[in-house]
Amino acid sequence: MPKKNLKKYFDILEIDSNASLSEIRNTYIRLKKLYSTDSMVITPIADEFSKKKRLAVLQQIEEAYTRLKEELKDERQKSTYFGKPGVASENSTEGEETESISFSGDVLRKIRERRRIHLHEVALDTKIRMEILENIEYERFDALPQEVYLRGHVSNYARYLLLDARKVADDYIRRYKTWKADAEEKV
Amino acid sequence: MEKSRAAKEGKIWAIGGGKGGTGKTFVTSAMGTYLAAKGKRVVLIDIDIGGANLHSFFGINRPKKSLTDFFEAGASLNKLAVKTGIDNMSLITGDIHSLASDSIKFTQKLKLFRHIMKLNEQYVIIDLGGGSHNNTIDTFLMADKMIVILEPEIPSIENVYHFIKNALFRKLRMSLREYGFKDIVEQMWERRKEYNIKSLRELMDCIRDSFSYVEDIIHKVLSDFNLYLILNKIRSSDDILIGSSMKSIFMKYLGVDTKFVGFVEYEDSVWRSIRERRPFMLNYSLSRSAREVEIFTENLLKGKEIKLSRN
Repeated sequence: MPKKNLKKYFDILEIDSNASLSEIRNTYIRLKKLYSTDSMVITPIADEFSKKKRLAVLQQIEEAYTRLKEELKDERQKSTYFGKPGVASENSTEGEETESISFSGDVLRKIRERRRIHLHEVALDTKIRMEILENIEYERFDALPQEVYLRGHVSNYARYLLLDARKVADDYIRRYKTWKADAEEKV
Repeated sequence: MEKSRAAKEGKIWAIGGGKGGTGKTFVTSAMGTYLAAKGKRVVLIDIDIGGANLHSFFGINRPKKSLTDFFEAGASLNKLAVKTGIDNMSLITGDIHSLASDSIKFTQKLKLFRHIMKLNEQYVIIDLGGGSHNNTIDTFLMADKMIVILEPEIPSIENVYHFIKNALFRKLRMSLREYGFKDIVEQMWERRKEYNIKSLRELMDCIRDSFSYVEDIIHKVLSDFNLYLILNKIRSSDDILIGSSMKSIFMKYLGVDTKFVGFVEYEDSVWRSIRERRPFMLNYSLSRSAREVEIFTENLLKGKEIKLSRN
């Protein structure tokens, strides 16, 4: 349980006091970027806050992060520390791309969930429809598009998860082909 | 006070946000349709001064009766409500002429608020339109849930910020006056050079420092300020961050705790459905935008924030 005197640091970072270390870190990075650069949100209202005040806010953010990191390192490091995509941290891809793992839909879903990415966001960024992504994850092969489209979708999705797109797609399509061959045999 | 009673029910929602064209009317219509489809009794009130056009989102003609009849002929609000073509939901239209600028007296305004609070519907959703005239701001402040629509564009960010700042400033002045501290804010503001006050937050800090006994009042104003943020017309998931940034700035600059309840993607289906004269939520009920409307409306009902997987 978080100690009481840490509450104000959580408040400065504007997060819940049961946030994981990775949430704390991501929020810290986000706020630091917001208040240290002339971002799209800060620029139009630059007059509202003197530079001195802004620096003071930055200093508070820095202090809050340092303190929380120190205090919670041991408590929350286990199982919660994953970097966000794009900032692939040393821990985040560990064990996910070893030869032994086959990239089934299930595995893709688990990787996504571990990175705390909602399917919705994947859809938004990859422009792949939600249903297709869902069908990919649940391997509803009969509902999926033709092989050449499917390969494209799986590659894009894999790339989004910062995986080796080709390896993932090859593996996925192999399973798809096996299913297809079986299905055709039955007919 | 009457307001605190209504606040518990949380039934009056006002949609504002400075600039025109950010999607206030769209959000009002879509949100109302969703609530009505859930079986809630809803009345929409359109008091967009710049151009009341909520009716066109339902493909109906401009209603003949409007709030003018309320102000001039004393008609009851129930009589002004027209059908929207959607079960459980009616619409009251404002009037460009009667609501323009200063033509409404303060007492008339209070009367309108009283009648709105007494409406029998479960939810009253008010489309405020653009601008930050005092009438607009007062209506916004009267609501149990004050909702701003932000577009991820610089003009919108600037407008929304100043709209909220003005609203908070007005609320602060009214509250201090209510408690008998009539001119503190005005006096402080006039002497802002002397005190080196550049922003509202600095003004509040300065009042706090100089008059420790108003601390509680300021605290109450801030904690009663039920602000909700919806991001509209986003084009990438990076845009969602702008909502989080805005929330942070409201906190750090103004001390206001905002609930970021959701976003809507930019989608052609929205303007298409206006042209087709069909309510968006029915016409494109399976679109991603419709799903997003559902998410933020549910969040508004529950007073929850949107869950963002990447913080």
